[in-house]
Amino acid sequence: MDMTLNAFTLSLLTGLQLGSIYVLIALGLTLIFGTLGVVNFAHGALYLIAIYLAVSINNALGFGLALILVPPILFVIGILLERGLIQRFYNRPHTDQILVTFGLAIVLQELLKWIFGANNIPFAIPSWGNGIIMLHDYLPFLEGFVVYPKWRLILVVVSIVTVAAVFALLHLTRFGLVIRAGMRDAEMLQFMGVNINRRFMIVFGLGAMIAGIAGVFGGPVTQVSPEVGMQLLVPSFLIVVIGGMGSLGGAVLAGILIGMAQSFTAPYIYINTIIIYLITVIILLVRPRGLLGAKGVFE
Amino acid sequence: MTDVKSEKTNHTAAGWSRRDVLKATSVGAVSAATPMFFTQNAWAEEAIGNYPVKGSEVVLGFNVPQTGAYADEGADELRAYKLAVKHLNNGGGMLDTLKPSKLTGNGILGKKVTYVTGDTQTNADASRTSARRMIERDKVIMVTGGSSSGIAIAQQYLCNELGIIFMCGLTHSNDTTGKDKQRYGFRHFFNAHMTGKALSPVLSNEYGKDRRAFHLTADYSWGHTQQESMQEFTEKEGWSTEGNIMTPLKTTDFSQYLSQVLNSDADVLILNHYGANMVNSLTNAVNFGMRDMQKNGKNLEVVVPLYSRLMAKGAGSANIDGVLGTSGWNWALEDEGSKVFVKAFSDEYGFPPSQAAHTCYVQTLLYANACEMAGTFYPPEVIKALEDFEFTGAGNGPTLYRGSDHQCIKDILVMQGKSPSARTSDFDYLQIVDQVAAKTVDYDPAIFGGELGPYVPA
Repeated sequence: MDMTLNAFTLSLLTGLQLGSIYVLIALGLTLIFGTLGVVNFAHGALYLIAIYLAVSINNALGFGLALILVPPILFVIGILLERGLIQRFYNRPHTDQILVTFGLAIVLQELLKWIFGANNIPFAIPSWGNGIIMLHDYLPFLEGFVVYPKWRLILVVVSIVTVAAVFALLHLTRFGLVIRAGMRDAEMLQFMGVNINRRFMIVFGLGAMIAGIAGVFGGPVTQVSPEVGMQLLVPSFLIVVIGGMGSLGGAVLAGILIGMAQSFTAPYIYINTIIIYLITVIILLVRPRGLLGAKGVFE
Repeated sequence: MTDVKSEKTNHTAAGWSRRDVLKATSVGAVSAATPMFFTQNAWAEEAIGNYPVKGSEVVLGFNVPQTGAYADEGADELRAYKLAVKHLNNGGGMLDTLKPSKLTGNGILGKKVTYVTGDTQTNADASRTSARRMIERDKVIMVTGGSSSGIAIAQQYLCNELGIIFMCGLTHSNDTTGKDKQRYGFRHFFNAHMTGKALSPVLSNEYGKDRRAFHLTADYSWGHTQQESMQEFTEKEGWSTEGNIMTPLKTTDFSQYLSQVLNSDADVLILNHYGANMVNSLTNAVNFGMRDMQKNGKNLEVVVPLYSRLMAKGAGSANIDGVLGTSGWNWALEDEGSKVFVKAFSDEYGFPPSQAAHTCYVQTLLYANACEMAGTFYPPEVIKALEDFEFTGAGNGPTLYRGSDHQCIKDILVMQGKSPSARTSDFDYLQIVDQVAAKTVDYDPAIFGGELGPYVPA
């Protein structure tokens, strides 16, 4: 297949939107790992809860209410999860954390399957986001008729806004300053009288809330079936590793990189299937800390 | 003394009295019957698989996906199996319509039918482990199930090796009764080749002969054979093939593949996907505007070669409206067999059965009937009873269980998605466009190669 300018533009946009959903999930993962040091395999299940909540509210009350309700509900679920279970594993080995969160993910997945069935629940795109955008109207270098789904471009914008908001929270607020300091040395902060545990609990809630945003906007793309969470979890984890454990910038960069790689290798199944693992191996060989992994953090 | 002796000798030599003839006839009749009588007991000494069946019960193994992507289909299959067991033990359902039939509603060969269930997890290794457990621990005489060709083929090989008959559930790959066919495996469901043969003339009639197709294909046994068959038969109708991309089975977002389709000259998109794959790829294609788009001055059309009601429901009727595909069976069929099955299933569970449920139910009855016809559970004799068995009254008109490849040859349904406004219930997603006759979709089994192997496993 020839790589014309049209094909290149379509692949670029596709890579961007594939990366966007990965970034939204990986962002929550890396935030939780970066602050709490918890390897949260249940994060895919949080996305799963989000899409089931979103499709249920969307089908009953409309997309607007799903958008307003789902992220805060996920925030509360995140807090309850952290208080009820995760905090008990802060001082346990990573293997214990992986086992308990992986087990939790399976329980949540089977619970949702029991409630909603294994079959897909159609998640319709709201009318204002439905349809296609005539790219050739905006990009004069394209030849002929080139279109792209409007919703997927909205997903890219949502992803950019969410990333910007998280960066602003961590870099422009006092709360963020404490969190970043806590990521470096939580013990020292506690000596200084800062209740870092309460802030970390909020960070866990924030990570879950980002999964909620991903669910509302990603649901119509990934659709709603019990397998979706686990299928997104593995690439998202690899993105956290490639980007550098706990690095938000790294997660964004790696997410886009993986999205692009998947998009541009689409016609070649044998490369397309392994590309994400190939990139992981190469990057970890060249930069063991990941793309933007900081020296001294989680080492 | 000598005289007496010679007298006796003379009497014998002189000829037969009427009494002698009657005696000899009786002895002859008993002698003639004796070999047949002993033939049935002769194989009792030759144990194969879990034969001979001991006790007053016979156990069947239902190995279906109870978790994983096809769990809903597996649940419907299990419902059908339980119903089949109920009918085998108590009568009713297709026992009243299947012809010829020796089923009486008194179990199989007088033994009460019980069952065990297993979870294939839509995973070949898990399905083999589960089937082996049923065979070795639960002593099942027959295994049936599966909702994916890769898994059906894996179980078929295992069962063949262990001398257990495997009655395939939902498997549509040409390989199941083609290159991977086994003496101990039987498929009632149709296959990808038959889909291509039945669907392509309808597509050509509907969309014209000058069409360019692009295939997206699930990267496993079924997807590969489905794509090959669709390409072969659409090209015979005059279509050309613009491209084919194999998509990983676990893909949830097909945008990277759909971008390639958009960038091609194709004006028909053929989705060789099943289950969640099809739901996602079709939904994504709709999002990409492909159902409202024009290419080469024609409407871009989407085709789903293999349809199921559960898939149609998952994709949503707005997305499948007008999309053509094929099914093995549909609950709206009006023949006697289908009607009694739909009624029995609906009475039991409150909703009509899927095509997966239909094929699993029929397979269980066909196995039981073959045992009755053979007069034994001895697998080689049951296999011979199934081979070239012609029957009616199980839906889809007259059906042949072809002996040369163990593939059922029967009518195929061409289906079309209904619009949301045309639906009458939550189970009414597809309408029958055409019932393509068995003789039209029949083919020479030699084209796919493979060997059935011996009746007695090595």
